[in-house]
Formats: sequence, C-alpha cells, structure tokens
Amino acid sequence: MKRSLYVLLSLLVLAGMVLAACGGPAATATEAPAQPEQPAEATKAPEPTAVPPTEAPPEPKTLTVASGTDIENMNIHLVTSSPSFSVLEHIYQPLFSMSEEGVLEPLLAESLNSAAEGVYEVKLRQGISFTDGTPFNAEAVKANLDWMLNADNKAPFRGTLLGKVTEVTVLDEYTVQIKTDGPFAPLPAHLSHGAVAMVSPKALEQGVDFLAENAVGTGPYVLKSWARDEAVTLERNPDYWGDAPKIDTVVFKVIKEDGARIVEIEAGTIDVAIRVPPAEIPRLQANPDIELVITPGLRTIYIFFNVTEEPFTDVRVRQAVNYAVDKDAIVSSLFSDAALVSSAPFAPPIFGYAAQQPYKRDIEKAKALLAEAGVAPGTKVSMYHPTGRYIQDALVADAVRASLKEIGLEVELKTLEWPQYVPTVRKTKADGNDVQFAMLGWGTPTMDADYALFALFHSTQHPPGFNGAFYSNPEVDALLDEGRSTLDAAKRQAAYKKAIEIIWQDAPWLFLYSEVQVTAIRKGVTGFIVHPDESLIAQFADKE
Amino acid sequence: MTTYILRRLLLAIPVLLGVSFLVFWSIRWVPGDPAIALAGELATPEFVAQVRQEMGLDQPVLVQYGRYLWRAVQGDMGRSVKSSLPVVQEITTRLPKTLTLAATSLLLSALIGIPIGIFSATRRNTWFDGGSMTFALIGVSMPIFWLGLMLMILFAVLIPKWFELPGPLLPPTGTGTWQHLVMPSIALAANSMAIQARMTRACMLEVLRQDYIRTARAKGQVERLVVYRHALRNALLPIVTIVGLQFGTLMGGAVLTETVFAWPGIGRLLVDAIGFRDYPVIQATVLVIALGFVLTNLVVDILYAYLDPRIRYN
Repeated sequence: MKRSLYVLLSLLVLAGMVLAACGGPAATATEAPAQPEQPAEATKAPEPTAVPPTEAPPEPKTLTVASGTDIENMNIHLVTSSPSFSVLEHIYQPLFSMSEEGVLEPLLAESLNSAAEGVYEVKLRQGISFTDGTPFNAEAVKANLDWMLNADNKAPFRGTLLGKVTEVTVLDEYTVQIKTDGPFAPLPAHLSHGAVAMVSPKALEQGVDFLAENAVGTGPYVLKSWARDEAVTLERNPDYWGDAPKIDTVVFKVIKEDGARIVEIEAGTIDVAIRVPPAEIPRLQANPDIELVITPGLRTIYIFFNVTEEPFTDVRVRQAVNYAVDKDAIVSSLFSDAALVSSAPFAPPIFGYAAQQPYKRDIEKAKALLAEAGVAPGTKVSMYHPTGRYIQDALVADAVRASLKEIGLEVELKTLEWPQYVPTVRKTKADGNDVQFAMLGWGTPTMDADYALFALFHSTQHPPGFNGAFYSNPEVDALLDEGRSTLDAAKRQAAYKKAIEIIWQDAPWLFLYSEVQVTAIRKGVTGFIVHPDESLIAQFADKE
Repeated sequence: MTTYILRRLLLAIPVLLGVSFLVFWSIRWVPGDPAIALAGELATPEFVAQVRQEMGLDQPVLVQYGRYLWRAVQGDMGRSVKSSLPVVQEITTRLPKTLTLAATSLLLSALIGIPIGIFSATRRNTWFDGGSMTFALIGVSMPIFWLGLMLMILFAVLIPKWFELPGPLLPPTGTGTWQHLVMPSIALAANSMAIQARMTRACMLEVLRQDYIRTARAKGQVERLVVYRHALRNALLPIVTIVGLQFGTLMGGAVLTETVFAWPGIGRLLVDAIGFRDYPVIQATVLVIALGFVLTNLVVDILYAYLDPRIRYN
C-alpha cells in the first residue's frame, strides 16, 4: 500500500533530477567551481606551483564578503548599483580614484591639465596591459569613453558623468584630449567613477553579450566565477601592474536577509558583513570576535519643499518646519545613532563640505515663524515619501508628520512604491506636478560638491531635473557655475561654502541626515576598506 | 492511458496560454515603468522615452503579446531588463536549485507527516495523538522566516559554542553540498509536514469509521492489515492531492526560505524581478511555475488511477 506513496515521491524526486540535469550545462558555464568558502574546496584547489616539500607553501588566503544583492552583470559601463561597482572595481580600474578621505588620486592616469577653456589633457600611466594582453593606452581610453558616449549603448551614467564631454581625441600613445562643453572642473572626479573604468578594447569589440558575462580589465583581481544570486569569486591577477594583493581569492557572497548575514559572521563563515541593521549593533559590539566599522556614507536624505507652492513659498514656513522636526531624536531612536544629522546639504566626506549650524528643535520659534507668515493652525499639506527605498524611510516620514502636527500643520502622507515614486516627484509643471513637499535621497558618488549641489539647486535643473524644489536663486546659480569652471581647489571650496550658507538660510529643504554604513568585520582581517561610496575594497586587505 | 496523458498535455497548452496572457496583461497594469528602471533614476525623459521605444513598450499590449509569443515559441523568452542576460539562462541556472529544495522538502514532509497522521488516527485520543497534533499546529503556524533564522542560530552559532566545535555544524547559507540543504528543507517542510499529518489523520479517521473496515475487523483480519491495506489505500486519494498541490506551492512559495538561506532559486528571482518591473523575467518565471503546477497535477491524476482501480480515464 505504502508502495504507491513511494512511487509518487520517487517520481517527484526523479522529475526534479531530470529538470536539474536539463539546467546543468547552462549552469556550469558560470557557476561550476564556485564554493570556495568550503574548507573542503580549499584543500582540493591545486597549488599554483610545485614547492619543495621541506618548505610549507603559504596557505592560500580567501576573504568572504557578504553583501545584500547580486551584481547586475559584468559590464561596468552598464551596471548601476553599488554592489556591482564594489565587485567590478576589483577587476576594472578608472583613470582616477577617489580615496576614502575624499582625495582625488591618479590611478591609470598620471595627470590632468587644462590646456584651454574646456580642453583637458590626460597623461596616462605607461606599461600597463589588460589581462587579455591588450595594451592600455590612449586608444583604449578613447574606445571606452566613446563607447559610453554612444547613445546606442544606453550607458545609464552617460548623462550624469559625461554629459559635458563633447569629444575625445588621441594626442599620442599616452595622452588623451577631452573637450567639454564649457569649463568643467569636476571632470577628474567624474573620471574616478567606476562606470567609466577602463575595459579592454578587444572585449568592447566583442559586444554586450560578451561583456555581460566576462570581465577583462587592468585591476588586481580577475573573475574566476559567477554563480547567479549566489556569489562572485575573484582571483588574484598574477600580472597586476601595482603591488600584489595579499588575499588570493575574494568571494562576494549574496545574502539578502540581514539576519542571515549576522548569523554567518557570528559563526565565522564569512569575514565581512555589510549593512548591519541598527537593532543588531549592541549585540555585535559585545562579540569579541567581531569589529564594527562605521563609515560615513555619501547619501543624504532630505525633504524638499516646492517653493512655488503655498504655503512653502514663504521662507519662514520652510524654516519653521526645519525648527519643528527633531533630527536628533530621529537619528537616535530610528537609527540607533547610525546616521548623521545634516549640517550641510551633503555629507562630510564630499569635497566642498562646509558645516552649518543645524536647525535645533524649537517648537515655540517654529510656531512664531508660522504665525508671522500668516499660516493658520490646522493648515493641511501633503507630503510624498517612498517606502522600502531608504533605511526606515516610511518611519521617518511619519516622525516628520507627528512633529509638524505639534506646530499646527496637518500632514497627509502620500506613500508610493519606488518605481512610481521618482517619475511622480520629477513631473514638470506642465505634466501636473502636485508635490508640496517630498522625501528623497541623493548620493554623490563622485565625492565632489558639484555633483551634490548642481543638479539639486541650480535653476536650470527644475523638473524633470532633480531640483524638485523649483529653487531658484541667481546668487547660488553664479556660485555653482563658478565651482564648475575653475580647477583651483581653494577657489572652488570658497564658492561652495558661500553657496551652502545661502541654501541653508533659504531652506528649500527640510535638512534631515546622512546615512552611515555599519560593517561587521571578523577580528584578524586587516586593511579592508569600506569606502564612503559604498564600495568594499579587498585589494589592500590581509587575513591572519 | 497514453492517450489520456497526451490529451492532458495538449490541454496544458491553453492553460499556459491563458496564464501567460493574464500575467502579460496584468503586470502592465501595475504602476511602475521598466524603462525608467533600465534608464536609471537620473535619466532624462527623452532618454526614458527612447528606451521605452526600444523595448517595444510604446506598442499596444496585444501587439507586444503577439511578438512575445512569436519569440517564445522559438525558445526566445527575451532578455532580463536588470541583468541584460537571456531570460532562459536566468531561469535554467536557478530552476534546478528550487526543484532540489522543493523535492527534498516534500520528501521530508511526506516521510514524517503521513506516518504521524496514521499513528495519530489509529491511536486516537492518546498522548501520542495529542502531542503530535499540537506539534502539527505549531508547524502550521510557525513563520518560515523565523524558523529559518532560529535553525541557523542553533546549528551555526549555539551548538558549536556549547560543544566547542571548530566551526559551524551546518553551513548557514548557500548551496553546494548536502549539508547546505538540511536547514532550508526543514524550514520549508515544517508547514507542509504539519498539513499532511493533520490531513492524513482526518482522512484515516473518516475511513476507519466505514462499514467495510468493521467487516474486515469482524472477519478477524489482523489490525495492521486493516489499517494499511484497507484503510490507508482509500484514505490516500485526498492526501495525494494535497501532496501534489504542495509541490507546486513549494516551487513558487519557497521565496521566503530562499531569501533567509540565500538559496538562489526562482522564487527569489521572481520577487526581485517584480521589484525591478523586469517584465520578461516575471512572465517567464510565472509560466515555469504554472507549468510545474500543471505537471504535478497530471502526475496526481495518474496516481489516482493507480491507487483506485475504479477510476479509469477514457
């Protein structure tokens, strides 16, 4: 009798096996050898060279990093998410690099000079080859920039990073000339972004299908395998032009669930866990085997006021809202202090940062400002906010609503899912933009004030641009233009300082906080860098 | 029988067509635009419009569906918007993982759930019955998410600590070895095990009350034979139905387990795709899950005939 039951079950298992076998060949192409976190696998791995038996070969070192999402694909010109850049920037390198302290350093380039207004010359480092043997030279740089600039290739960062670039010319084997539409001082910062990292021209020629699954760069690591949604495994590039990294194999493991990442790091099965949830911070701090590293982030969360819509046309109303909301309480209660109250429209690691006095909570002052502006208690306003996009976003929106109730503003929350959200807050007036105020986050991957301010406060950037506040101040416009036009760092710094001061007083935003990254690292791992731009850098790491 | 199976397989075609059209049509009603997802948050409206046109999203839904079908019958399910890789490849790398997990869980739940149900029915109102049914109640109501994390903490952190083991007893997440399969399949099986136990018990009790069972006992048949030969076979029909349905559910519903244990299966693929409005992946994944349901139901129907000779298909 029971036989029939077993027949059913064996059929099911059989079906599973058959289907598994069907999927086999396609799967093996990219994922077969990926399980390096298994100790068994480590011992199986063949030693790279024959070593005399008397001298024990150094144990190959593997570093396992758990991130929350898989990379999109291997084409660094097309990906958009920071986990993708984290992985791919071990393989691909840009011309410049932005250090975690916000210092711009040459990487594949040697220098950048301004030859004339809007004409820049980049000298390249010599003697570097891609891992397929193609030499790295001016032709390679031109091939990559042209690929990015070609609209047919649909590079998502084309506009934001290279929008001002008009022409790329090879001057000699190691010099490239880049022309921009008007002076564009942030150019080297833009060229430090992973999206404009250098891909082997030979690989570029093979087309997007090849690039989606293969990676040929100049970096310290090469791609070993990619098991979809599971892990990307990198191996040391034996021919790397710079200092050889100490870690032989780096595994970027995908563990979406926060709790599971915490269990893994507690169990010691991974070395680095990103995005420790605020609630877990005290527990991990108490664990002697784990170190928590707090890195300032580059994303600032803010709520912009539409300054062309009542009641926010009046600067006093905008300031009143800034005084009413208790940013310190939000940061301590919703983030366990893992966020930084804003004292500028962008985060501290970014070039051009100039700290202002935050609007301290002062209900009486806020009420007085509202009364002065003639806003009656009980006035209704509506606020858009996304949900699930930023850490605690919906809770923050609700905290703002509760605070504004105290000063007599009745806030109606309009919650939208992310795919709908951005188009809604970027609607033009003609398309029926009905935003009164809305929450948004802005990351500044170039770590330069131009990226952080121009798109958000310049009057040319009204929706469909990102100046959703419709903010318009000729003085600020002039300062932002100035910051863009000179390469002189001191002059730029001064211009941005002044612009920030004006913006802070005009309060087109409710200034909230900047995100910080909390990363858990096992004791014994040294030199692992969590960059403010959310990149995880294993190149300089070592492990006991 | 062969004609019957062939006919059923042919009937699956309209079902799959219906499912594919419903999915195709309904995801286009969900707000959110894959063109924006692809073009990036920072893209200009002109660029978004260009992307939309290139993706064919500016065409009427029926035209889009026609094109989709035409390509699908040629084995081309399109490319993922998110990864720009062929959808067929995206699914074939993940489907075996989901099937392995679903099949193991089903095996586990049936091997434990059904015997528990039988024993509870034959030992009705004893401590075993009470205990196992309470256990089953807990199993039904336990959230997979929570159970998964608890198992993980127990096997990877607490047990190694108590017994001073050098490493975790079981790897908390990932795939690759049979050890990786243990915790996810327990977590996934808990719920269906409980349902099967309760279902088996109810069916067995129903059958054991029948006259022919009394007759069998009256003629002096050994109790073991009464239970297993006469009662169980008749009670199995609804149980097999449930088990079959559960396999389909496990395939699509393993998403929570897959998320907790970082198991790269199609449940997670589907959920990620929905968040990204990745139309081609959503369409193909739902179709695969629907196909899974159709096939398991076919297997169940065939088993009916085997279990109950009175059922014949013509």
